[in-house]
Amino acid sequence: MSIKNNSGIALGIIFYLTVLSVSPVMAGSATVSDVSRELVCQCGCTMILSNCSHAECVPRDTMTTLIGQKLAQGEPPDEIIQYFVARYGEQVLASPPKQGFNLTAWLLPLAALLAGAGVIYAALKQWLWRGHSSPTAPMSPETNQEYQERLDKELTDFNESAFR
Amino acid sequence: MGDAGYIVLLLAFAAAIYSAIAFALGGRGGHPALTESARNGLLAVFILVTLSVEVLVFALVTHDFSIEYVASYSSRDTSLPYLISGLWAGNAGSLLFWAWLLSLFAAVVTFQKRKSGHELLSYAATILMTTEAFFLILLLWVANPFRTMAFVHPDGMGLNPLLENPGMIIHPPALLAGYVGFAIPFAFAISALLTRRLGDEWIVAVRRWTLLTWLLLGAGNIIGAWWAYMELGWGGYWAWDPVENAGLMPWLVATAFLHSIMMQRRRGMLKVWNMVLIILTFSLAIFGTFLTRSGILSSVHTFSESGLGPLFLAFIGITLLGSLGLLYFRRKELKSEAEMESLVSRESTFLLNNLLLVGAAFAIFFGTIFPVISEAVRGVKITVGAPFFNQVNGPIFLAVILLTGLCALIGWRRASIKNLVRGFLWPLAAAVILGISLVISGLREWYALAAFCLSGFVLFSILYQWFREVKARHRIKAENYFKAFWDLLGVNKPRYGGYIVHLGILLLAIGIIGSSFYDVEKEAVLMQGESMSLNNYTLTYESTDQYDTQSKTVVSATLAVYNKGKLLGKLIPEKHFHRNHAQPLTEGATVTEVAIRSTLQEDLYVILISADKNGRAAFKVLVNPLVNWIWIGGGFLVLGGLIAFWPERQRQATPRQPAKKGNRDEH
Repeated sequence: MSIKNNSGIALGIIFYLTVLSVSPVMAGSATVSDVSRELVCQCGCTMILSNCSHAECVPRDTMTTLIGQKLAQGEPPDEIIQYFVARYGEQVLASPPKQGFNLTAWLLPLAALLAGAGVIYAALKQWLWRGHSSPTAPMSPETNQEYQERLDKELTDFNESAFR
Repeated sequence: MGDAGYIVLLLAFAAAIYSAIAFALGGRGGHPALTESARNGLLAVFILVTLSVEVLVFALVTHDFSIEYVASYSSRDTSLPYLISGLWAGNAGSLLFWAWLLSLFAAVVTFQKRKSGHELLSYAATILMTTEAFFLILLLWVANPFRTMAFVHPDGMGLNPLLENPGMIIHPPALLAGYVGFAIPFAFAISALLTRRLGDEWIVAVRRWTLLTWLLLGAGNIIGAWWAYMELGWGGYWAWDPVENAGLMPWLVATAFLHSIMMQRRRGMLKVWNMVLIILTFSLAIFGTFLTRSGILSSVHTFSESGLGPLFLAFIGITLLGSLGLLYFRRKELKSEAEMESLVSRESTFLLNNLLLVGAAFAIFFGTIFPVISEAVRGVKITVGAPFFNQVNGPIFLAVILLTGLCALIGWRRASIKNLVRGFLWPLAAAVILGISLVISGLREWYALAAFCLSGFVLFSILYQWFREVKARHRIKAENYFKAFWDLLGVNKPRYGGYIVHLGILLLAIGIIGSSFYDVEKEAVLMQGESMSLNNYTLTYESTDQYDTQSKTVVSATLAVYNKGKLLGKLIPEKHFHRNHAQPLTEGATVTEVAIRSTLQEDLYVILISADKNGRAAFKVLVNPLVNWIWIGGGFLVLGGLIAFWPERQRQATPRQPAKKGNRDEH
């Protein structure tokens, strides 16, 4: 594989990881809703905290009230999330943290895509080689002319009808 | 009545076993009489399963609460449409519906291919009847919908209130038909492997079936999203719940399959890959059915835990190992005839599209089962929710969107630079103008900006390409533009159906991007007469009402909605407190009925969280931009799919040169 190809793959990986890192931005202006989207309601509904729509859900109300209080006290969103992790365990998080064993969840899809891309690259290379190396008999000018006319007609037909 | 239903199912099971064996022997030995008998057996299965469905529907409609299923999923005050939809509301009933759909599809495909004397059919029918027998085993011995109770209750528990929505009358049948329908292409693929008829024959036989099934599953998913948006009351349409994922995965792989079979038909390529794709699609469809019934993963859709899980797992295991094993033994006979002339060709875009679609399906599959893996490895059952799926799949889906436009515009074998420039220059210019306009209008998030520009580019590319083709026909045939457009559509339905599907996907993408990046929400507790504001909207809480119906107490709140001071109208969100229902989907039986003011630009979505007798009420208000484009895109997808599916007129073979009257006999 050439340097150019390697650079392309490296750029692709960097782009993918950059995009992966685009998680909801929770700066100083984070709201209860921003933090709630990172947590799961503990009432058993299995929904994201901000999405739990139960009429009188005590766990949701307790958690959102606490988030509101902590934000009002100026606590950073990350610390608030860590507080809930310490209280309920990792299952309170809406997605696996990007560390330790959980990294496999984030990276395996990328690895599978790269492996697939590798297989496609190898197949394309082989098919291109086959396409370029298949023997072709030299054509006489008359035959060439006949095929050119036929090709033109088929291309015109294709524009109108051919997507199978 | 329950006994009658059970006996009919027992007879259907016997007929399915007989039919499967007779088809296999008939196909192997070439005994037409035996094959004919097997066909009658298959018809008998369909009639008997239909009869058992009718028995259960009759029991639901006549309130026969001696049957446990009827008592669990209906009540005397359930209206007729929802009594009938009770058929697929519970575990056993939906399994019976699954079995009925399979028998229906098997009967249709068997009799459709009967006159053509399809040689693949015998083994395909064996596989279909074996699958049918598996489902009948489940119905007879594990999840019997006709089980009777010793004590007959005066009334049933009623349908889950969340399911009392028009979407729920269509969504489950469409989704289940989507799952079941993949059995047909799967059966023909395995039959092709068994009979060593490994050319295009099986693909020709199943293309339209696959398209129809893909369409049903796609429509089922979109209607499910619409139902979640209207009925679940959390403000979104897709929660990446394991069961939602189970509906999406086979659809993605089937999309890859529908594209890659074009490569096999045109270029003789990807023969093994197409087999792999259809095996995966069917296995994922069964996996979806397994997920709802195993209790292995937490989901809002899960039926009560039952003993079905291990049986489904065994069935998936046998299907996967058996099919892939057979494929391995036939691999040499499936050698590709592939050769390529250029990297810039439709073949390359289809390969990339396959990679991305299957990659997305894998990412969703891995994320869905990761809690189980985590529990097995670390002893911690973590949650994998929307933030994970959005971040992992976002870039993949953006690349799919780009290819959605490119693959239709790049020709087979080789695309010249001149053609590429001609096809993409104007759309690119339009996308740049769109991007500049969005920046000027205040859009700053680079990810959303890139996504909108990309979608715009692909949208303009497809429309521009279509315009060029209409213009070419207008010029060649001297037709007006409308007629040229209409005739083109009629002449090549798969091509233009495909264009419309791609446009639908783009509109869906635009709706998803808008509603994901720019939704805003606010919660407030208001006293009557107080107001809250969100974006340009001001909502004034006017009054609360409470009334009883036969089955529930309804609490509603009326809000006056203003936009920049101008009264737009009233919105009345509700809470329904059902009295006689106690199913596990929600706490007790409280259902949120949201109020939505919907425009093409955005939805104002109001949820009544709670209201008390002192005139105080809590609301959650969301502004969801562009959501309507998701449903419009869904409509395009269904329309395009139907056009592509629609049978083509038999084309008259046109002679290369027009024959003259006088010398016709000479040719």
